[in-house]
Amino acid sequence: MATVTYSGATRIYPGSEKPAVDKLDIEIQDGEFLVLVGPSGCGKSTSLRMLAGLEEVDEGSIYINDTDVSNLPPKSRDIAMVFQNYALYPHMSVFDNMAFALKLRRMPKADIKQRVEDAAKLLDLSDYLGRKPKALSGGQRQRVAMGRAIVREPQVFLMDEPLSNLDAKLRVQTRSQIASLQKRLGITTVYVTHDQIEAMTMGHRIAVMKDGLLQQCDTPRTLYEKPGNTFVAGFIGSPAMNLKTVSLTEAGALFGDVTLPLSREVRDAATQDGGDQQVTVGFRPEHCKLGAEGSGGIPVEVDLVEELGSEAYVYGHAAYNDSSERFVVRTESAHVPRLSETVYVVPEPGHEHVFHASTGQRLN
Amino acid sequence: MRHGKNRFLIGALAAPLLLYGVFVVSPYAQAFYLAFTDWNGLSGQAGAVGFENFTSLWSDDLFLSALRNNGLMLLVVPLITIVLALFFAAMLTMGRSDQRGGIRGSRAYRIVYFFPQLLSVAILGVLFQFVFTPNNGLLNGVLEAVGLGSFTRSWLAEPAWALPAVMAVMIWAAVGFYVVLFAAAMESIPRDVLEAARLDGAGRLATFRRITLPFVWDTVQVAYVYLGILALDGFALVQIMTVGPGGPNNSTEVIGLTLYRAAFTYGEFGYASAMGVTLFFLTLTLTAVALRATRRERVEVA
Repeated sequence: MATVTYSGATRIYPGSEKPAVDKLDIEIQDGEFLVLVGPSGCGKSTSLRMLAGLEEVDEGSIYINDTDVSNLPPKSRDIAMVFQNYALYPHMSVFDNMAFALKLRRMPKADIKQRVEDAAKLLDLSDYLGRKPKALSGGQRQRVAMGRAIVREPQVFLMDEPLSNLDAKLRVQTRSQIASLQKRLGITTVYVTHDQIEAMTMGHRIAVMKDGLLQQCDTPRTLYEKPGNTFVAGFIGSPAMNLKTVSLTEAGALFGDVTLPLSREVRDAATQDGGDQQVTVGFRPEHCKLGAEGSGGIPVEVDLVEELGSEAYVYGHAAYNDSSERFVVRTESAHVPRLSETVYVVPEPGHEHVFHASTGQRLN
Repeated sequence: MRHGKNRFLIGALAAPLLLYGVFVVSPYAQAFYLAFTDWNGLSGQAGAVGFENFTSLWSDDLFLSALRNNGLMLLVVPLITIVLALFFAAMLTMGRSDQRGGIRGSRAYRIVYFFPQLLSVAILGVLFQFVFTPNNGLLNGVLEAVGLGSFTRSWLAEPAWALPAVMAVMIWAAVGFYVVLFAAAMESIPRDVLEAARLDGAGRLATFRRITLPFVWDTVQVAYVYLGILALDGFALVQIMTVGPGGPNNSTEVIGLTLYRAAFTYGEFGYASAMGVTLFFLTLTLTAVALRATRRERVEVA
């Protein structure tokens, strides 16, 4: 039962000017599953390690409930962490790995046995308690690492890319297991990943980071429907959103000969702060249609078609304003265009995302 | 390529094998042979005496006190050296109170600790003779200066203190090397395992006992064997440093010294060879027992 609050938390590694994590502000509710996501080097792991007490907090503070834990050693924070490489103790059996923290707390032997066995049952590890980690498969090791965190019944779970060492199929399975386990235990969880699909499927809320700065923190749906800036728009969703910076006219955004109408408020906002008669417009591959010639769509020459069975992704390029721009469109399998054919891409009205050309902030 | 393999192997191995045979194996064989003779080192003939050399070893007071002294050294030197080296190495690698690294200046310490290793035993012996000198020696001088004047003594001249003094020098000279060795082993422990232990609530002592020590146990084992062999020798240091040498009152006599004297002072090469053979088997037994008794399952990072 705990809330976690990052309040202006900053980490500057010795010998570097630029903060690895820059004034991070996040409030995590009790029982919430928060995912920190971003490209590598964005500071997500550092943020997690600051909460764990493995990295110093150079400025600002981190609170667990109402206690400032910024200067507490890891063992006083009552947190458990699952590491990317599991960090199991190789010389101890599965049982001893899970019991280690409890033994250090001098918990009675019978209680330890009870808790470890309960956790083992929950994670389907009962038959492996006597084994050493090296005699386990990758998935089993991952579960031992989970078990080691669970038996402690901590205030907060921390997970640092716990699925990245599993193969694709196991990753999908374990993903849902972790999510349902977290729901069942109701323990506040902070989860780090670079995989936006993992983030979208698991998190109650997602915090997107880039270059040590928090970009946006919201529910998966909001991130998808209303990305706050161009980085989030390009990062969330697969394949990525078609995101183009084009000229702004009286009517709207100009894609070559084609004009995408924009409302008056949006156009006004786009010209503020050095917008320079440009605007960044995005539309997701699933939010546009392939129209016929003369339908007012953007003419795109098809380079590649990805058939997925139920649907297909059409990759192509359009030449306008002296540059060649790439586009991706999702389409029904029944109407797949041929290679080199010219198709006409019509964005669905109401699903466009408009961003300021220089600040990258959302306008609509 | 295949048919030339054996020829290549033989060609590459012949020279080293020959050298090894001439300079290592043959002297061993010779020593074993001489141990059963009464050769005096000069005459052209050696008479076979059977096991007489070996049986008379057990009534030779000098040899028995040498054996006792080596036994004492074997008990004390490896143990203290390893404990000290483990302590220093742990401080160098995880000594900071937040357990994020070694104590301040650990790089400098690591270099300084290695210095004794650069001195030859001869220099070491002479150096410490001066340290232990009663009238103007460094040790007594320091004891006087800090007000412990009543503890000053003639270190190398008192039977009760001469052997401990020799052992102290052996330990002083050996610790640095094992600090470096253990520190390297400790640094190869995966960082996230140590971090996991910290999150699990392990302090420095618990981390050392439950994580670090099991990880470096292999290295400790090897160190124990080397130090055991060192403790069964001690010839050079005793020869240079102690009065007699081997005194006072045989209190620093070691097998190597007895052997040397039997061969080169008294011309009893057969008898000396018997001591050598005995020492050989002692060392061999020690190594086998040490490796066997301290065997644990290897820690393999999963």
